[in-house]
Amino acid sequence: MNDNQENILTVNGLSVNYGKFQAVQNVSFNVLKGEIFGLLGPNGAGKTSTLSALEGLLKPQSGSIVIDGYDAGEKPLYARASLGVQLQSTSFQPELFVVEVLELYAGIYGLTLTRNEILAILREISLEDQAFKKFGQLSGGQQQRVSLVIATIHNPKLVLLDEPTTGLDPQSRRQLWERIEAIREKGHAVLLTTHSMEEAESVCDRIAIIDHGRVIAVDTPQALIDKHRTDPEVISVSRRGKITLEDVFIALTGKTVRA
Amino acid sequence: MDTVIPKTSTVLAALLRADFTTQWRNRRSVILTLVVPVIILISWKGLVAIKGGAFALSNSITIGLIATGLMGYTNAIARDRDKGIFQRLRVAPVPTWTIMASRICVQLVMIILVTTAVFIAGNEYDKITLTPSGYAFTYFTAIIGGLVYLSLGQMVAGLITNPETVNSTTRLVYFVFIMVGMFGELGILGVQVHDMEHWSPYGTVKTILAGSMEPGKWTNDTSIALLLTGLYAAIFAAIGIQRFKWNSNK
Ligand SMILES: Nc1ncnc2c1ncn2[C@@H]1O[C@H](COP(=O)(O)OP(=O)(O)O)[C@@H](O)[C@H]1O
Ligand SMILES: [Mg+2]
Repeated sequence: MNDNQENILTVNGLSVNYGKFQAVQNVSFNVLKGEIFGLLGPNGAGKTSTLSALEGLLKPQSGSIVIDGYDAGEKPLYARASLGVQLQSTSFQPELFVVEVLELYAGIYGLTLTRNEILAILREISLEDQAFKKFGQLSGGQQQRVSLVIATIHNPKLVLLDEPTTGLDPQSRRQLWERIEAIREKGHAVLLTTHSMEEAESVCDRIAIIDHGRVIAVDTPQALIDKHRTDPEVISVSRRGKITLEDVFIALTGKTVRA
Repeated sequence: MDTVIPKTSTVLAALLRADFTTQWRNRRSVILTLVVPVIILISWKGLVAIKGGAFALSNSITIGLIATGLMGYTNAIARDRDKGIFQRLRVAPVPTWTIMASRICVQLVMIILVTTAVFIAGNEYDKITLTPSGYAFTYFTAIIGGLVYLSLGQMVAGLITNPETVNSTTRLVYFVFIMVGMFGELGILGVQVHDMEHWSPYGTVKTILAGSMEPGKWTNDTSIALLLTGLYAAIFAAIGIQRFKWNSNK
């Protein structure tokens, strides 16, 4: 079924409209098995809209999405079964205990996990003590850990993370990077969105820079830096003589602050 | 490709378990939903002798059904939509209908509970008893009547996104139903209001409930009310389902 065995995700000519507004325009990229791929772009660039189309939350205007060999338009349930997802703003029923939230999603993904197995999962993310607290009573960082562990509970081949580090303190952010790398270690591919260049440079194998709904560059962070090192634009925005991914990003997407 | 889609029955079981647990954790508001119609029934004790047991029971059950569908169900889905709970469920490999089917199952149980609470209170305080077939038939019409208010709630949640606005709207509609329903029914508000009330979603549900409590007294009028009840449910549900959005797009 899959003509390219190396791709876990192939996006081709994807366009997403909200009414007449084109949020995503003719976007193409692919994610390889076992890689961490970053979708970088300023606010409103179209990152969440792109992911929403992959997740099946909205119907694209045009283009094709193939996840693990399944066309997301034709076989949405199969495509989604291979996906683990953390939405930009996910929540779970605040009345449910943390173990119950995990049990719900284990069931939804067709897993039969015992209470003890669920508790073991919570132990791994140091939330065993919170197991019988209501989800709504957890701190933001703890809720975030729950939502990340649910994104990988069914051992998905591709994990989609929408701005996973936004709102985290530096410690939690570092810990999350380690968790994301651990996800890859287990053989999953990760597609994440971020506007943290530091994050993209240090955890992503490859990145796509997206702006105004269009992909303007796809490569490894280092290759992007090398390729644009001598651009006058890049040099003019760089500080202290060292060219960083952020300089390339600013040069490519402009200095205007987005709402 | 070794991808396996979870069985729909497994998915439904997980959703039902979570939704019933959530309902259990909110048992205070559940109890309130059960207590209000019981209090009304008890306070109407004097009317039972004049208007009959079926009159008192059917009005109380109707009020319980309105609270269940309009307040409980509607506010829960408006809140969960706003929090992104539905969106997270929808990105899982679950058929979308299972998410709502599970919610509605919880409400069907609530309908049975409300009806039972009114039956028990009617028996204890007002000595109202029905024939076994009267009880059975009334459970059946209570579910049909409950569906009217569930679909009315679905319509409110379909037309309004903001959970606070949904909340104040459902309260207002609940209040209007109780006022016009109870007082219109008693004729206090005049003949025209009484007629209007009689064919409103309050009156038709009340009529079919009262009719099923005493199946011998089922008339043409009751049949028309049943037909209208079904029509109301179909119209509200059609609008509510068609206009429903799964996210609140903040
Ligand atoms: N539901 C929506 N209706 C209308 N416009 C939207 C909607 N969601 C997003 N947009 C617009 O689409 C563009 C891309 O949004 P989004 O994909 O959320 O960007 P990002 O995630 O990169 O910040 C923005 O201009 C945003 O305002
Ligand atoms: Mg976004």
